[in-house]
Amino acid sequence: MAASVLQADRREYGSYDELLEDYFERGWTDGLPIVAPTPEKVAAFLAAAGLDAADVVGEVPTREVVVTAEQAAANAVMAGCRPEYMPAVVAALRAHLHEMGNCHSTTGTLSGAAQAVILNGPVRSELGVACGAACFGPGFRPNATIGRALRLVIRNVCRAIPGVLDRASFSTPARYQFCFGEDEEDSSWRPMHVERGFAPEDSTVTVASVMNMVSAVDFHSRTPEGICDSILGVILSRFVATDRWLGDGTNLVLVVGPEHRRFFDRAGWSKDDIRSYLWPRFHEDGKRSVGLGRPEGLLIVAAGGDGMGESWLLFPHLAWAITEKIV
Amino acid sequence: MSEKWIGLDPTSGPLERRDERELRPRPESLDGHVIGLVANGLGRGEELLDRVYHGIAERTGAAGAVRVLKPGVSVPPEPADWARLTSEATVAITGFGG
Repeated sequence: MAASVLQADRREYGSYDELLEDYFERGWTDGLPIVAPTPEKVAAFLAAAGLDAADVVGEVPTREVVVTAEQAAANAVMAGCRPEYMPAVVAALRAHLHEMGNCHSTTGTLSGAAQAVILNGPVRSELGVACGAACFGPGFRPNATIGRALRLVIRNVCRAIPGVLDRASFSTPARYQFCFGEDEEDSSWRPMHVERGFAPEDSTVTVASVMNMVSAVDFHSRTPEGICDSILGVILSRFVATDRWLGDGTNLVLVVGPEHRRFFDRAGWSKDDIRSYLWPRFHEDGKRSVGLGRPEGLLIVAAGGDGMGESWLLFPHLAWAITEKIV
Repeated sequence: MSEKWIGLDPTSGPLERRDERELRPRPESLDGHVIGLVANGLGRGEELLDRVYHGIAERTGAAGAVRVLKPGVSVPPEPADWARLTSEATVAITGFGG
């Protein structure tokens, strides 16, 4: 693709340092240094995704914002992505900008919700996405930069800037980036994207809003029921946000670590078995105490590393978790 | 040797945008006005707005209220509720949070 088709304003600098300081000054970064979005790099990213600069990735109607492929590419470059990450970035943006992803709310909220980007399918091995030990944290370029690219678009294009349309009281470090993959190879379970109707050979991105995340630590239980009870205790102690507009589509993400998975595996429990155990316990006393409309609303993901008897719950803001195929 | 760097603007444009639509002038008094109360469904927002209305009515002689509950915190009122608001209310009160 010729760089001449790019539409964004161009700025000329005498050095990279000069460019970087100007981008900081203009508020175009998340506070961390960026890779310079040169026309050549942006064009290479668009080519890697097979997109034209003017292609529309999505919109935020309440902000009168249209997100173009060129803007997505510029921010993916700045985030430190490699060109081959670009299709995953675009899929993440499509998921985030889906109507029921409710991005105006999840990025403007006082609660400072983050966006979890969860990768499934072959893309994880193709890009080297971390799914096991330390997968929530730093050290893995695809995780760090795909998640950051989404956040930079949210800031630079969708205008969720603190004090402007980001009204968070505290915000969260997860707003720098939060991206990981499901550890499909180390799990006997059906991957999340297959449970959501995609083929095993499809690569997908799921974006889930995260108003807060809490670990369910249980070193002692040796049965699926015991571990589920510990997870249930955490779920019942928190609030699953939903409302009439979201209907029965709200999701809660349960990320199950390997120390817990081994007890489910030994007992032959599937993800559906976990849901079957938990679902009636969400409704004890005849009233719905967890804001999920149906059992499948509980999304279960295998991830994390050995050693710690814990699983994690990603509690949503007012949004569905949306899964998009990477094309 | 001097190097030259070209960087693209990664934004959707300047933050300061001029909205061509103008706000209607604020009423000098609420005497005789019908007040639209737009609740977003959070917490006890409906109750709060109701109390605000009664406080206003006692002080100003407001002529009535049109109560609307949005289907969600982050979405507009239903079309029928919009129609009620624009046809029946002459001023409106809302709030935000969440």
